[in-house]
Amino acid sequence: MKYFQPHSVEDALEIAQTSEAVFLAGGTDLVLHMRTGKVQPSEIIDLGKISVLREIKITDGFLDIGSMATFAELGENELVSQNAYALWQACQTMGSPQIRNQATLGGNLGNCSPAADGLPALLALGAEVHLISREGEEIVPLSTLLSRTPLLEQGTLIRGFRIPLQGLQSGFAKLGRRKALAIARLSVAVAVETNGTRVENVRVALGAVGRRAFVSEALSQELSGQELNEAWLEKGVLEVQRIVREALGTRASAPYKRVAVSGVFREALASIISEGGTQA
Amino acid sequence: MMEIKLVVNEKPYTLNVEPSERLIDALRNRLGLLGTKEGCGEGECGACTVIMDGKTVNSCLVLAAQANGSVITSIEGVGNRRSPHPVQKAFVEVGAVQCGFCTPGMVLSAKNLLDRKSKPSDAEIGIAMSGNLCRCTGYDKILRAVKIAAEEGKE
Repeated sequence: MKYFQPHSVEDALEIAQTSEAVFLAGGTDLVLHMRTGKVQPSEIIDLGKISVLREIKITDGFLDIGSMATFAELGENELVSQNAYALWQACQTMGSPQIRNQATLGGNLGNCSPAADGLPALLALGAEVHLISREGEEIVPLSTLLSRTPLLEQGTLIRGFRIPLQGLQSGFAKLGRRKALAIARLSVAVAVETNGTRVENVRVALGAVGRRAFVSEALSQELSGQELNEAWLEKGVLEVQRIVREALGTRASAPYKRVAVSGVFREALASIISEGGTQA
Repeated sequence: MMEIKLVVNEKPYTLNVEPSERLIDALRNRLGLLGTKEGCGEGECGACTVIMDGKTVNSCLVLAAQANGSVITSIEGVGNRRSPHPVQKAFVEVGAVQCGFCTPGMVLSAKNLLDRKSKPSDAEIGIAMSGNLCRCTGYDKILRAVKIAAEEGKE
Protein backbone atom coordinates (compact mmCIF):
# COMPACT_ATOMS: atom_id res chain seq x y z
CA MET A 1 0.00 0.00 0.00
CA LYS A 2 1.23 3.48 -0.89
CA TYR A 3 0.63 6.46 1.36
CA PHE A 4 0.55 10.08 0.20
CA GLN A 5 0.45 13.15 2.40
CA PRO A 6 -0.06 16.10 0.04
CA HIS A 7 0.02 19.71 1.28
CA SER A 8 -2.40 21.17 -1.25
CA VAL A 9 -5.76 20.31 -2.82
CA GLU A 10 -4.16 20.43 -6.27
CA ASP A 11 -1.55 17.84 -5.31
CA ALA A 12 -4.22 15.59 -3.76
CA LEU A 13 -6.29 15.71 -6.98
CA GLU A 14 -3.23 15.05 -9.10
CA ILE A 15 -2.42 11.90 -7.13
CA ALA A 16 -6.08 10.82 -7.13
CA GLN A 17 -6.27 11.05 -10.90
CA THR A 18 -3.49 8.61 -11.55
CA SER A 19 -4.42 6.01 -8.97
CA GLU A 20 -7.16 3.98 -7.37
CA ALA A 21 -6.49 5.80 -4.14
CA VAL A 22 -8.96 6.52 -1.37
CA PHE A 23 -9.00 9.83 0.48
CA LEU A 24 -8.28 9.62 4.20
CA ALA A 25 -9.96 12.32 6.31
CA GLY A 26 -9.85 11.82 10.11
CA GLY A 27 -9.74 8.05 9.76
CA THR A 28 -12.09 7.12 12.62
CA ASP A 29 -14.13 5.03 10.18
CA LEU A 30 -11.58 4.23 7.46
CA VAL A 31 -8.80 3.00 9.77
CA LEU A 32 -11.30 0.66 11.38
CA HIS A 33 -12.64 -0.53 8.01
CA MET A 34 -9.08 -1.22 6.84
CA ARG A 35 -8.43 -3.23 9.98
CA THR A 36 -11.53 -5.39 9.54
CA GLY A 37 -10.81 -5.80 5.82
CA LYS A 38 -14.04 -4.07 4.74
CA VAL A 39 -11.89 -1.61 2.78
CA GLN A 40 -8.57 -2.66 1.25
CA PRO A 41 -7.14 0.38 -0.50
CA SER A 42 -4.00 0.05 -2.57
CA GLU A 43 -3.23 3.73 -2.07
CA ILE A 44 -4.20 6.29 0.55
CA ILE A 45 -4.23 10.06 0.17
CA ASP A 46 -4.11 11.57 3.66
CA LEU A 47 -5.78 15.00 3.61
CA GLY A 48 -4.63 15.84 7.14
CA LYS A 49 -1.80 18.16 6.10
CA ILE A 50 -3.90 20.40 3.82
CA SER A 51 -4.58 23.25 6.22
CA VAL A 52 -6.90 25.15 3.87
CA LEU A 53 -9.44 22.32 4.22
CA ARG A 54 -9.82 23.01 7.95
CA GLU A 55 -11.13 26.57 7.60
CA ILE A 56 -14.46 27.67 9.04
CA LYS A 57 -15.48 31.16 7.88
CA ILE A 58 -18.26 33.40 6.57
CA THR A 59 -18.07 34.14 2.82
CA ASP A 60 -20.66 35.90 0.65
CA GLY A 61 -23.72 35.03 2.72
CA PHE A 62 -22.62 31.49 3.50
CA LEU A 63 -21.06 29.71 6.43
CA ASP A 64 -18.15 27.97 4.72
CA ILE A 65 -16.85 24.80 6.36
CA GLY A 66 -13.79 22.97 5.07
CA SER A 67 -14.20 19.23 4.78
CA MET A 68 -11.36 18.56 7.23
CA ALA A 69 -12.84 20.65 10.07
CA THR A 70 -13.23 18.24 12.99
CA PHE A 71 -16.37 17.79 15.05
CA ALA A 72 -14.48 19.25 18.03
CA GLU A 73 -13.46 22.34 16.04
CA LEU A 74 -17.03 22.83 14.80
CA GLY A 75 -18.44 22.27 18.29
CA GLU A 76 -16.19 25.00 19.71
CA ASN A 77 -16.79 27.50 16.92
CA GLU A 78 -19.01 30.55 17.52
CA LEU A 79 -19.80 31.02 13.83
CA VAL A 80 -21.26 27.52 13.88
CA SER A 81 -23.26 27.95 17.10
CA GLN A 82 -24.66 31.28 15.87
CA ASN A 83 -25.47 30.30 12.29
CA ALA A 84 -25.95 26.54 12.31
CA TYR A 85 -27.19 25.60 15.76
CA ALA A 86 -28.42 22.13 14.80
CA LEU A 87 -24.98 21.27 13.43
CA TRP A 88 -23.33 22.69 16.54
CA GLN A 89 -25.58 20.49 18.69
CA ALA A 90 -24.77 17.41 16.59
CA CYS A 91 -21.07 18.13 17.08
CA GLN A 92 -21.44 18.12 20.89
CA THR A 93 -22.83 14.62 21.06
CA MET A 94 -21.13 12.75 18.22
CA GLY A 95 -18.90 9.90 19.40
CA SER A 96 -16.64 10.79 22.30
CA PRO A 97 -14.14 13.62 22.90
CA GLN A 98 -11.39 11.48 21.33
CA ILE A 99 -13.49 10.74 18.24
CA ARG A 100 -14.62 14.37 17.91
CA ASN A 101 -10.98 15.50 17.99
CA GLN A 102 -10.18 13.31 15.01
CA ALA A 103 -13.36 12.83 12.96
CA THR A 104 -14.20 15.39 10.28
CA LEU A 105 -17.43 16.61 8.71
CA GLY A 106 -16.14 15.70 5.24
CA GLY A 107 -15.35 12.19 6.42
CA ASN A 108 -18.83 11.91 7.91
CA LEU A 109 -20.27 12.51 4.44
CA GLY A 110 -17.66 10.45 2.60
CA ASN A 111 -18.28 7.41 4.78
CA CYS A 112 -22.01 8.17 4.64
CA SER A 113 -23.21 5.85 7.39
CA PRO A 114 -27.03 5.78 7.71
CA ALA A 115 -26.47 7.11 11.23
CA ALA A 116 -23.95 9.85 10.32
CA ASP A 117 -24.58 12.54 12.94
CA GLY A 118 -23.58 15.52 10.83
CA LEU A 119 -25.83 14.90 7.84
CA PRO A 120 -29.38 15.52 9.18
CA ALA A 121 -28.29 18.90 10.58
CA LEU A 122 -26.62 19.88 7.29
CA LEU A 123 -29.72 18.80 5.37
CA ALA A 124 -32.13 20.75 7.58
CA LEU A 125 -29.94 23.84 7.22
CA GLY A 126 -30.03 23.54 3.42
CA ALA A 127 -26.29 22.91 3.10
CA GLU A 128 -24.56 22.61 -0.25
CA VAL A 129 -21.47 20.53 -0.88
CA HIS A 130 -18.43 21.83 -2.72
CA LEU A 131 -16.93 19.02 -4.78
CA ILE A 132 -13.69 19.29 -6.71
CA SER A 133 -11.88 17.02 -9.13
CA ARG A 134 -9.44 17.40 -12.01
CA GLU A 135 -12.47 17.84 -14.27
CA GLY A 136 -13.66 20.89 -12.35
CA GLU A 137 -15.72 22.06 -9.41
CA GLU A 138 -19.35 21.54 -8.52
CA ILE A 139 -21.60 23.03 -5.86
CA VAL A 140 -24.44 20.62 -5.26
CA PRO A 141 -27.23 20.58 -2.63
CA LEU A 142 -26.46 17.88 -0.07
CA SER A 143 -29.95 16.45 -0.55
CA THR A 144 -29.20 15.98 -4.28
CA LEU A 145 -25.77 14.49 -3.63
CA LEU A 146 -27.24 11.94 -1.22
CA SER A 147 -29.47 10.60 -3.98
CA ARG A 148 -26.45 9.70 -6.13
CA THR A 149 -24.96 6.22 -6.31
CA PRO A 150 -22.07 6.05 -5.94
CA LEU A 151 -21.97 9.12 -3.77
CA LEU A 152 -18.74 10.36 -5.33
CA GLU A 153 -16.87 9.55 -8.52
CA GLN A 154 -13.30 8.26 -8.20
CA GLY A 155 -10.96 11.20 -7.78
CA THR A 156 -13.65 13.59 -6.54
CA LEU A 157 -12.81 15.34 -3.30
CA ILE A 158 -15.25 16.88 -0.84
CA ARG A 159 -13.75 20.36 -0.63
CA GLY A 160 -16.24 21.61 1.93
CA PHE A 161 -19.78 22.64 2.82
CA ARG A 162 -21.63 25.92 2.61
CA ILE A 163 -24.68 26.75 4.65
CA PRO A 164 -26.75 29.74 3.47
CA LEU A 165 -27.12 32.38 6.19
CA GLN A 166 -30.91 32.62 6.30
CA GLY A 167 -31.37 33.32 9.99
CA LEU A 168 -32.98 29.94 10.55
CA GLN A 169 -33.60 28.59 14.00
CA SER A 170 -32.55 24.98 14.16
CA GLY A 171 -32.16 22.05 16.49
CA PHE A 172 -30.89 18.47 16.54
CA ALA A 173 -31.61 15.47 18.74
CA LYS A 174 -30.62 11.84 18.59
CA LEU A 175 -31.49 8.63 20.28
CA GLY A 176 -28.65 6.33 21.29
CA ARG A 177 -28.27 3.50 23.75
CA ARG A 178 -26.16 5.70 25.99
CA LYS A 179 -25.02 9.32 26.02
CA ALA A 180 -21.44 9.02 24.81
CA LEU A 181 -20.12 6.81 22.03
CA ALA A 182 -23.52 5.52 20.95
CA ILE A 183 -24.23 5.16 17.26
CA ALA A 184 -27.47 7.07 16.62
CA ARG A 185 -30.46 4.74 16.41
CA LEU A 186 -32.48 7.67 15.21
CA SER A 187 -31.71 11.34 14.70
CA VAL A 188 -33.80 14.37 13.78
CA ALA A 189 -32.74 17.86 12.72
CA VAL A 190 -35.22 20.67 12.21
CA ALA A 191 -34.70 24.17 10.82
CA VAL A 192 -37.47 26.78 10.79
CA GLU A 193 -37.86 30.24 9.36
CA THR A 194 -40.25 32.12 11.59
CA ASN A 195 -42.08 35.42 11.19
CA GLY A 196 -43.44 36.44 14.57
CA THR A 197 -45.45 33.48 15.79
CA ARG A 198 -45.78 32.06 12.30
CA VAL A 199 -43.67 29.29 10.82
CA GLU A 200 -42.95 30.32 7.24
CA ASN A 201 -40.71 27.44 6.22
CA VAL A 202 -39.64 24.20 7.84
CA ARG A 203 -37.10 21.59 6.90
CA VAL A 204 -37.02 18.31 8.79
CA ALA A 205 -34.23 15.80 8.17
CA LEU A 206 -34.02 12.29 9.54
CA GLY A 207 -31.00 10.08 10.17
CA ALA A 208 -30.76 6.31 10.77
CA VAL A 209 -34.12 5.87 9.05
CA GLY A 210 -33.14 3.95 5.93
CA ARG A 211 -29.93 3.86 3.93
CA ARG A 212 -28.97 7.53 4.06
CA ALA A 213 -30.13 10.65 5.87
CA PHE A 214 -32.88 12.53 4.02
CA VAL A 215 -35.08 15.65 4.10
CA SER A 216 -38.80 15.05 4.10
CA GLU A 217 -40.44 17.26 1.47
CA ALA A 218 -43.86 16.11 2.67
CA LEU A 219 -43.14 17.37 6.18
CA SER A 220 -41.94 20.71 4.84
CA GLN A 221 -45.19 21.16 2.94
CA GLU A 222 -47.43 20.04 5.79
CA LEU A 223 -45.79 22.23 8.42
CA SER A 224 -44.87 25.44 6.58
CA GLY A 225 -46.96 28.61 6.59
CA GLN A 226 -48.71 27.99 9.90
CA GLU A 227 -48.92 29.34 13.44
CA LEU A 228 -46.25 27.94 15.78
CA ASN A 229 -48.35 26.51 18.59
CA GLU A 230 -49.20 23.26 20.33
CA ALA A 231 -51.46 22.09 17.53
CA TRP A 232 -48.61 22.64 15.06
CA LEU A 233 -46.25 20.55 17.18
CA GLU A 234 -48.78 17.72 17.54
CA LYS A 235 -49.42 17.75 13.82
CA GLY A 236 -45.66 17.57 13.25
CA VAL A 237 -45.38 14.57 15.60
CA LEU A 238 -48.09 12.67 13.70
CA GLU A 239 -46.55 13.54 10.33
CA VAL A 240 -43.01 12.57 11.32
CA GLN A 241 -44.32 9.25 12.63
CA ARG A 242 -46.02 8.66 9.29
CA ILE A 243 -42.81 9.45 7.40
CA VAL A 244 -40.80 7.00 9.51
CA ARG A 245 -43.49 4.32 9.10
CA GLU A 246 -43.41 4.73 5.32
CA ALA A 247 -39.60 4.85 5.12
CA LEU A 248 -39.00 1.77 7.23
CA GLY A 249 -41.85 -0.45 6.02
CA THR A 250 -41.50 -3.90 7.52
CA ARG A 251 -37.98 -3.55 8.89
CA ALA A 252 -37.46 -5.00 12.33
CA SER A 253 -36.71 -1.59 13.83
CA ALA A 254 -39.89 0.00 12.43
CA PRO A 255 -42.31 -0.55 15.35
CA TYR A 256 -39.78 0.97 17.73
CA LYS A 257 -38.57 3.87 15.61
CA ARG A 258 -41.98 5.07 14.46
CA VAL A 259 -42.97 5.58 18.10
CA ALA A 260 -39.58 6.79 19.33
CA VAL A 261 -39.32 9.45 16.64
CA SER A 262 -42.04 11.54 18.28
CA GLY A 263 -39.84 12.12 21.34
CA VAL A 264 -36.74 12.79 19.28
CA PHE A 265 -38.69 15.25 17.10
CA ARG A 266 -39.96 17.13 20.17
CA GLU A 267 -36.44 17.25 21.57
CA ALA A 268 -35.02 18.61 18.31
CA LEU A 269 -37.60 21.39 18.46
CA ALA A 270 -37.01 22.17 22.14
CA SER A 271 -34.34 24.82 21.53
CA ILE A 272 -36.39 26.46 18.80
CA ILE A 273 -39.59 26.68 20.78
CA SER A 274 -37.93 28.00 23.93
CA GLU A 275 -35.82 30.49 21.94
CA GLY A 276 -38.86 31.82 20.14
CA GLY A 277 -40.65 32.17 23.47
CA THR A 278 -43.61 30.30 22.09
CA GLN A 279 -45.46 28.01 24.42
CA ALA A 280 -46.02 24.72 22.74
CA MET B 1 7.52 1.28 4.56
CA MET B 2 7.53 5.01 4.96
CA GLU B 3 9.46 7.40 7.12
CA ILE B 4 7.70 9.57 9.69
CA LYS B 5 9.02 12.07 12.20
CA LEU B 6 7.26 12.65 15.48
CA VAL B 7 7.94 13.77 19.01
CA VAL B 8 6.86 11.35 21.74
CA ASN B 9 7.10 12.41 25.37
CA GLU B 10 9.43 15.26 24.37
CA LYS B 11 11.85 13.00 22.48
CA PRO B 12 12.11 13.29 18.67
CA TYR B 13 11.92 10.06 16.68
CA THR B 14 12.27 9.11 13.04
CA LEU B 15 10.47 5.83 12.38
CA ASN B 16 9.92 3.57 9.41
CA VAL B 17 6.32 2.39 9.55
CA GLU B 18 3.91 0.43 7.38
CA PRO B 19 1.22 2.67 5.81
CA SER B 20 -1.49 0.59 7.49
CA GLU B 21 0.24 0.62 10.88
CA ARG B 22 -1.72 2.29 13.65
CA LEU B 23 -0.26 4.80 16.08
CA ILE B 24 -0.84 2.39 18.97
CA ASP B 25 1.23 -0.27 17.17
CA ALA B 26 4.08 2.15 16.56
CA LEU B 27 4.06 3.30 20.20
CA ARG B 28 3.94 -0.21 21.65
CA ASN B 29 5.95 -2.26 19.18
CA ARG B 30 8.49 0.19 17.80
CA LEU B 31 9.03 2.44 20.81
CA GLY B 32 8.29 -0.13 23.51
CA LEU B 33 5.84 2.19 25.23
CA LEU B 34 3.54 -0.46 26.64
CA GLY B 35 1.57 1.91 28.88
CA THR B 36 -0.82 2.60 26.02
CA LYS B 37 -3.37 -0.23 26.14
CA GLU B 38 -5.49 -1.70 23.40
CA GLY B 39 -8.94 -2.56 24.67
CA CYS B 40 -11.63 -2.75 22.02
CA GLY B 41 -9.50 -1.68 19.06
CA GLU B 42 -12.43 0.21 17.56
CA GLY B 43 -12.58 3.55 19.31
CA GLU B 44 -15.20 2.67 21.91
CA CYS B 45 -13.24 2.18 25.13
CA GLY B 46 -10.56 4.87 25.19
CA ALA B 47 -7.90 2.62 26.76
CA CYS B 48 -5.53 3.59 23.93
CA THR B 49 -5.98 7.34 24.48
CA VAL B 50 -2.92 9.50 23.87
CA ILE B 51 -2.58 13.27 23.53
CA MET B 52 -1.71 14.30 19.96
CA ASP B 53 -0.95 17.99 19.33
CA GLY B 54 -2.82 18.95 22.49
CA LYS B 55 -5.89 16.83 21.82
CA THR B 56 -6.89 13.38 23.03
CA VAL B 57 -7.25 10.74 20.33
CA ASN B 58 -7.83 7.00 20.25
CA SER B 59 -4.46 5.73 19.02
CA CYS B 60 -6.18 2.62 17.62
CA LEU B 61 -8.03 4.83 15.09
CA VAL B 62 -5.07 6.94 14.01
CA LEU B 63 -2.53 5.67 11.51
CA ALA B 64 1.08 6.19 12.55
CA ALA B 65 1.53 8.01 9.23
CA GLN B 66 -1.22 10.48 10.18
CA ALA B 67 0.83 11.37 13.26
CA ASN B 68 3.75 12.41 11.03
CA GLY B 69 4.97 15.76 12.34
CA SER B 70 2.89 15.54 15.52
CA VAL B 71 3.72 15.88 19.18
CA ILE B 72 2.48 12.92 21.21
CA THR B 73 2.15 12.43 24.95
CA SER B 74 1.62 8.88 26.15
CA ILE B 75 1.23 7.83 29.78
CA GLU B 76 5.01 7.35 30.04
CA GLY B 77 5.34 11.11 29.56
CA VAL B 78 3.06 11.94 32.50
CA GLY B 79 4.73 11.79 35.90
CA ASN B 80 6.54 8.82 37.37
CA ARG B 81 6.74 6.81 40.57
CA ARG B 82 8.78 9.45 42.41
CA SER B 83 6.92 12.42 41.10
CA PRO B 84 3.41 11.49 39.97
CA HIS B 85 1.20 13.93 38.09
CA PRO B 86 -1.54 15.46 40.31
CA VAL B 87 -4.11 13.34 38.44
CA GLN B 88 -2.13 10.16 39.13
CA LYS B 89 -1.71 11.13 42.79
CA ALA B 90 -5.44 11.73 43.14
CA PHE B 91 -6.27 8.40 41.42
CA VAL B 92 -4.14 6.56 43.98
CA GLU B 93 -5.46 8.52 46.95
CA VAL B 94 -9.11 8.00 46.07
CA GLY B 95 -8.73 4.37 45.01
CA ALA B 96 -9.77 5.05 41.41
CA VAL B 97 -7.59 2.21 40.13
CA GLN B 98 -8.68 -1.41 40.27
CA CYS B 99 -7.41 -3.59 37.44
CA GLY B 100 -5.67 -0.55 35.97
CA PHE B 101 -6.22 -1.32 32.30
CA CYS B 102 -8.26 1.83 31.62
CA THR B 103 -6.13 4.01 33.89
CA PRO B 104 -3.51 5.31 31.40
CA GLY B 105 -6.29 6.52 29.08
CA MET B 106 -8.27 7.95 31.97
CA VAL B 107 -5.24 9.85 33.28
CA LEU B 108 -4.49 11.31 29.84
CA SER B 109 -8.09 12.44 29.30
CA ALA B 110 -8.09 14.06 32.73
CA LYS B 111 -4.65 15.65 32.27
CA ASN B 112 -5.69 17.06 28.90
CA LEU B 113 -8.83 18.58 30.44
CA LEU B 114 -6.84 20.22 33.24
CA ASP B 115 -4.22 21.48 30.77
CA ARG B 116 -6.97 23.25 28.87
CA LYS B 117 -9.15 24.28 31.79
CA SER B 118 -7.82 24.73 35.31
CA LYS B 119 -11.26 24.94 36.94
CA PRO B 120 -13.58 22.52 35.13
CA SER B 121 -17.18 22.10 36.26
CA ASP B 122 -18.56 18.66 37.15
CA ALA B 123 -20.31 18.60 33.79
CA GLU B 124 -17.09 19.42 31.95
CA ILE B 125 -15.28 16.65 33.84
CA GLY B 126 -18.08 14.23 32.89
CA ILE B 127 -17.84 15.13 29.20
CA ALA B 128 -14.02 14.99 29.16
CA MET B 129 -14.07 11.49 30.67
CA SER B 130 -17.01 10.20 28.60
CA GLY B 131 -14.77 8.54 26.00
CA ASN B 132 -13.06 6.28 28.54
CA LEU B 133 -14.73 3.14 29.79
CA CYS B 134 -13.98 1.44 33.10
CA ARG B 135 -15.44 -1.98 33.88
CA CYS B 136 -14.26 -2.10 37.52
CA THR B 137 -14.82 1.04 39.52
CA GLY B 138 -18.18 2.38 38.42
CA TYR B 139 -16.69 5.84 37.62
CA ASP B 140 -17.57 7.53 40.90
CA LYS B 141 -14.03 7.36 42.26
CA ILE B 142 -12.51 8.28 38.92
CA LEU B 143 -14.62 11.43 38.62
CA ARG B 144 -13.85 12.27 42.25
CA ALA B 145 -10.12 11.88 41.58
CA VAL B 146 -10.27 14.26 38.61
CA LYS B 147 -12.13 16.78 40.75
CA ILE B 148 -9.53 16.54 43.51
CA ALA B 149 -6.70 16.95 41.00
CA ALA B 150 -8.46 20.02 39.58
CA GLU B 151 -8.87 21.53 43.04
CA GLU B 152 -5.21 20.94 43.88
CA GLY B 153 -4.24 22.64 40.65
CA LYS B 154 -6.16 25.75 41.69
CA GLU B 155 -4.07 26.37 44.79
